[in-house]
Amino acid sequence: MKLSLNILISVGLGILLGYFVLPPSISGATDIVIDAGLMILLFFVGIDIGRHQDVFEKIKVIGFKILLIPFAIISGSLIGGIVGGVILDIPVKYASAVGSGMGWYTLSSILLSNHSTEISTLAFLSNVVREIIALITIPLVAKYIGKYEAIAPAGATAMDTSLPVIASSTDSEISIIAFITGVICTISVPIILPLILNL
Amino acid sequence: MGIRLLLYLSAILLGAFISYKGKISDKILDKLNIIQTLSLLFLLLIMGIKIGIDEKVIYSFFSIGFKAIIMSIFTVGFSILFVFIIRKLFIRKENEIES
Repeated sequence: MKLSLNILISVGLGILLGYFVLPPSISGATDIVIDAGLMILLFFVGIDIGRHQDVFEKIKVIGFKILLIPFAIISGSLIGGIVGGVILDIPVKYASAVGSGMGWYTLSSILLSNHSTEISTLAFLSNVVREIIALITIPLVAKYIGKYEAIAPAGATAMDTSLPVIASSTDSEISIIAFITGVICTISVPIILPLILNL
Repeated sequence: MGIRLLLYLSAILLGAFISYKGKISDKILDKLNIIQTLSLLFLLLIMGIKIGIDEKVIYSFFSIGFKAIIMSIFTVGFSILFVFIIRKLFIRKENEIES
């Protein structure tokens, strides 16, 4: 709960600073800081994994069933997108395409830009919002629902921006599973999204 | 994406290798959680700034923010639900047998 609140304050404060105080010209600098910060945090995630040497044994017990987690997240994102689309009166094809972005907002909006500007913008913003929701809810989901479920909000971002939050909220076993899940979800976006658009 | 993935993996593996070899003192390990949380909050602040200075995000939020929130709530909600079902059906049992 405390971590979620701190995350909400950090992201919220950042958005306000970016919108009201800082000039757009610092955009390049933020990219560098984010990349460097992410590398440091992933290094910390690695340190935590190295301390728990039984972690690979535990993952071996689960085996290939680990792959069911990205499968569940991809399916959940598509179905969730369709349900959201039904409520908002968005065609099934576009609604599932927005959902299949799984937090990778740049790619999903680029892939949709040739089809519809409105849907492309919606894909961009929905996936930005998904990333923010993921960062805030991961600690809550880990505490109140389950550690495996804490990977779900992250989708494709489970291998980068959300991974440090998952690591702080769960354990090293889940961190490794989250990274693998994030990689699979990320790879799936440029495959599934064009497939949906071609249906 | 390939290079990025390689960089992320290298950072994780480097950290894992150093701590596996016991090259990090207990004193530092004790402080690791605090350093990790502070770094994380700092990174998220910068990510917030990146979102806030992006006019495209702010402009589109005022026009289709509601739709985006509905779409993301449902994608996140169903992702959690499906992982919950998968864990109940396949994963939890294995862990219980092991423990």
